[in-house]
Amino acid sequence: MHNSIVIDHICRVEGHGGITVGIKDGRVSEVNMDIFEGPRFFEPLVVGRAYDEVSPILMRICAICSGTHTVASLRAVESAFGVTVSRQTHLLRDLLVQGGNIQSHALHLFCLSIPDFLNYPSAIALASDHAQEVKMGLELKKLGNTIQEAIGGRAIHPVNATVGGFGRVPTRDMLFDLKEQLKRGLEQSLTTVDLVSGLQIPDFCVSPNIYAALSSNEHGYSLFGDKIALSTGDTKDIEAYKEICNEQVVSHSHAKQSWFKSKPFAVGAMARIILNGQKLSGEAKKAKVRLGLDAVSDNMLYNNAAQAIELIYSIERAIEIIDELLEVGIREEKPLKFRVQAGTGIGAVEAPRGTLYHSYSFDEAGRLIEADVITPTAQNLANIEKDLRVAVENLMDEPKELLSSKLEMVVRAYDPCISCAVHLIEVNFE
Amino acid sequence: MSKPKVGIYGLTGCAGDQLVILNCEDELLNIVGALDIKSFSMAVSESDDDCLLDIVFVEGTVVQPRDEEMLQNLRERAKLLIAIGTCAVWGGLPAMKNEFSQEEIKKKVYGPAGDIFKTTAPQPLSSFVKVDLSISGCPIEKEQLLQAVASLLHGDLPRLPGYAVCTECKMSEYTCLLVEKGQLCLGPITVAGCKARCPGYGQPCIGCRGPVEEANVSSEIEVLKEKGFTWVDIQNRLRTFVASIDPLQIESV
Repeated sequence: MHNSIVIDHICRVEGHGGITVGIKDGRVSEVNMDIFEGPRFFEPLVVGRAYDEVSPILMRICAICSGTHTVASLRAVESAFGVTVSRQTHLLRDLLVQGGNIQSHALHLFCLSIPDFLNYPSAIALASDHAQEVKMGLELKKLGNTIQEAIGGRAIHPVNATVGGFGRVPTRDMLFDLKEQLKRGLEQSLTTVDLVSGLQIPDFCVSPNIYAALSSNEHGYSLFGDKIALSTGDTKDIEAYKEICNEQVVSHSHAKQSWFKSKPFAVGAMARIILNGQKLSGEAKKAKVRLGLDAVSDNMLYNNAAQAIELIYSIERAIEIIDELLEVGIREEKPLKFRVQAGTGIGAVEAPRGTLYHSYSFDEAGRLIEADVITPTAQNLANIEKDLRVAVENLMDEPKELLSSKLEMVVRAYDPCISCAVHLIEVNFE
Repeated sequence: MSKPKVGIYGLTGCAGDQLVILNCEDELLNIVGALDIKSFSMAVSESDDDCLLDIVFVEGTVVQPRDEEMLQNLRERAKLLIAIGTCAVWGGLPAMKNEFSQEEIKKKVYGPAGDIFKTTAPQPLSSFVKVDLSISGCPIEKEQLLQAVASLLHGDLPRLPGYAVCTECKMSEYTCLLVEKGQLCLGPITVAGCKARCPGYGQPCIGCRGPVEEANVSSEIEVLKEKGFTWVDIQNRLRTFVASIDPLQIESV
């Protein structure tokens, strides 16, 4: 019987976090997901900035999902000024977001998560016995980065996506080239499903979950949407995101936590597959059935399977976007011109880890008055603690080292991005 | 020759520079084969955080006592300490508003719960320890990193450009965004190495790589004023990535 379990530093996640579990009289008394990544106070940094300076600063909350941060941020700025971008711009942004999703899911699956299931400390160690698989994972990751470089101008912190459109649109040749690479990637993503379907998914952290994800009017599966759907049956407009992301300060963490109606909830690939999975088509639809995610699951360790399904979805969707752009013909569009005015706008996008919200208010000169950014990891933290508690209760009799590694596995399954979570919310600078 | 013992660490930041290392997909397995990586917690579970190191790469800004302790410890353990990324080299975005009290911001954000942790004014590594090599960029450029690793494996420090983004931009024959288009471009005073990435996409340089040596800041400011930019706009742009130690001496202009 253990008195307490302290994991100082969770490895193979982005950022600095730990886990503390307190046990009293054989029962779990407290479970804390400790976040000690230093705070960077991002929202106050942009107060007073001109509208076109906001996205380049706030995309830097996170490196892994800077593309998604950029698109959510640009949508918030445009929504505040009442700007509607062209279909071409929307498609290119969708492509950028899919590139980010491919990059991030491949990184998480192959470099951070799969080594857990096969009992290796890292992808580097995994490569000594499974060189082919690791090489394939890195190639898939590179595919995501190639898309982000082609469309965003840089794999991390994109430079080409701007308010109203893009600095430079990709050429037909670039799109053809991307499509060829995507076709190859599709084959590899199918092999990834083979690999993931062979993994034994343990059931030590099964507990009922509430899921939340964006929901769109489009007929297909999408990483965009104007409504938030919950597995409780509730739906909200994205403007009402604060009713869901009811943020609270907790003493053990530099990140605030979210509850919906006093209950923790989960966002991310698994939430999307459960809520929107019926809209999947093609190979992604087949993979969903094959990986056993055809029914609602309460085992968050299946998030890795959900990511493998989305890897296929994102590649298929990227091909679909490129086909549409090629069919219509890519136009040399410059970013839209518009009138700056006072206003408030919200942009929401499904980031690899879940729903990301950016909300801004501007004055009549287009200077930012207030910014609020809610990241997926911040929304997931309370749910992670819930799952850790269940895991400890189920595994209480296991040796400490084994138990600790399993707790890390739970955290890692959520693919947390701790830098994202610690950026600080709702500061009103006078 | 034995492989150099290397540590890769992140203080507070977005982990973008460590991600650039992981983004060297084609070279990654060769790099890790040529180095004896003792710690890279973003990617590897097993780590030796006590051993002496030949080279340590450090990303991020010092924003709390915990970061400073870690940095001092790394300095003591490593023969060469290399700052990677603009946060580590110049303080980066987190240092942008250092004129505000961190304690005050914290109180506004966290309320009384904020009392349990300490924050300090964000500072670059060189404010605390000797830095042997600085590779700036937000994020760093993959080619510069690979070039640095190759040089280090040969026992040399890499030669990094001592000229401005403006020079790279001219060499690529891009339209001048500052003079011809009247945009707020920091290309003339920002250190090269990105091949003028942003101007290549029709976007002005926002100075994410930090200043070039002997940057002619007063002349840049004069041009920007002539183009009609307000002092607030100019100062905001100049202070975005390098406010912490005021290398641009903005106040004195």
